[in-house]
Amino acid sequence: MWAYSFMQNALFGGIIVATVCGIVSVFVILRRMGFAAHALGHMSLTGASAAALLGMSSILGQLVLNGLAAIVMGLMGDKVKKNDLAIGVVLTFVLGLGAYFLFLFQNNYAGSVMSILFGNIFAVSNTQIWQLLGLASVILLIMLVISRPLIFASIDPVVAESKNVSVKLLSVVFFLVLAITVSMACQVVGALLVFVLLIIPGAIGIQWGESIYRIVAISVGVANAALILALYVSYHFDLPASFCITMLLCCGYFIGVIKALIKRG
Amino acid sequence: MIICKHLELGYASGSLTPAFNLEIDDNQWIGIIGKNGAGKSTFLKTILGVIPVVKGELTILGQKPGECNKLISYIPQEREINLADKMSGVSLITSSYCGSKYGLPWVSKKLKARVDELIDLVGANSYAHQPFITLSGGQKKRIYLAQALINQPQLLLLDEPLADLDPHAKQHFIEALQKIHQHQRLGLMIISHDMHEIASHLDAFIHFSGNGVHYCPTIECVKEDTYVGI
Repeated sequence: MWAYSFMQNALFGGIIVATVCGIVSVFVILRRMGFAAHALGHMSLTGASAAALLGMSSILGQLVLNGLAAIVMGLMGDKVKKNDLAIGVVLTFVLGLGAYFLFLFQNNYAGSVMSILFGNIFAVSNTQIWQLLGLASVILLIMLVISRPLIFASIDPVVAESKNVSVKLLSVVFFLVLAITVSMACQVVGALLVFVLLIIPGAIGIQWGESIYRIVAISVGVANAALILALYVSYHFDLPASFCITMLLCCGYFIGVIKALIKRG
Repeated sequence: MIICKHLELGYASGSLTPAFNLEIDDNQWIGIIGKNGAGKSTFLKTILGVIPVVKGELTILGQKPGECNKLISYIPQEREINLADKMSGVSLITSSYCGSKYGLPWVSKKLKARVDELIDLVGANSYAHQPFITLSGGQKKRIYLAQALINQPQLLLLDEPLADLDPHAKQHFIEALQKIHQHQRLGLMIISHDMHEIASHLDAFIHFSGNGVHYCPTIECVKEDTYVGI
């Protein structure tokens, strides 16, 4: 099955996205930004519909809109994880805009709404692979530079601030990293299921890992294993790939829950 | 170590204290006493530059507030720790090592040896490698103490470290402070409502009262205030 070019593209694109999501999801969980990640995923729909209205590629629209939302949420600093209401209001506003853009463009665009919502990994083109590779390189470079203060500020924000770590700047930069990651992951699992790749790999890493490096390694490994297995199952059993990725990752998480329950006796 | 000239503490909405002058020598261990809301925690946050000076001048280790925070360690009264379930106190300590520098964090042999030394100093050997969330309040406080020492500070600021601890845990924490006093050269400022339990280990006191902020060489001069608990 790997001889087909669409399968090769799905594999390469998927590995790039799974690797980035595996790293970013650990910090999403440590910084308790689950709702923000979920909101950015939904906002991608508006970004894609706005891009369609303007005749641009959907990933560009998603990047621009998610980037703007990320800067606003990042500037709210540490309040973000405590202020679900503010994220909810921004999300509702942006989703409302998305509904209006779809209304304006429904004849030409509504047909592809399903692929934006649920993704289509088998439709990843060569151009998209290069786009994903470029965006992943940017994210990895940023994470390499900010990892030490980001870990410190994520684990112990009050003391990090007292040590002159720029908590607010880090918050904005990490929100931008998250916005780019969401825009990338939408190409694979779609706007509705992007949450899966941004939460579950990190959650599984936290279930099994004792140090930050081990947690990140487990998270990246699990995300890639689920992706490759999902492509295999999807191809042989004719099931949607995003459904397979979601189910496999959820199963992985429940294995950790069962193990913890058995350990507790 | 610290020089205050006509210093007023507070927020943009107004001063919490009248103007005061203070001079604290290097490596002194100072107790900070006063009622709730008198400005004790605000003083520590002003030293860190987290809250700006309302009026007057404040010099810490020869520099302005916020300029020498690498030389200061702070244990806040309330904090948010976001460690993963299985991460230990050692992870918290190592994550704080040079935490403001950019790049990848790396636990070298030298750092590992330093962490082991500090864990031993605060008496946390038996639980430092256990998951942090399983530790008691007193055990967590001793991990915080080791974390505060990892960057070899010249000044340690402790905001109510004895609060919420049972008598046994308080005793262990005070013993850890005593050992630090014997082995490390650094200044210390501690806010506590249980000052009577720690007073014998301190060099002097700063009293935040309705009449202003005063330097007291002994605890005797603040005994008239019932909240001091002596």
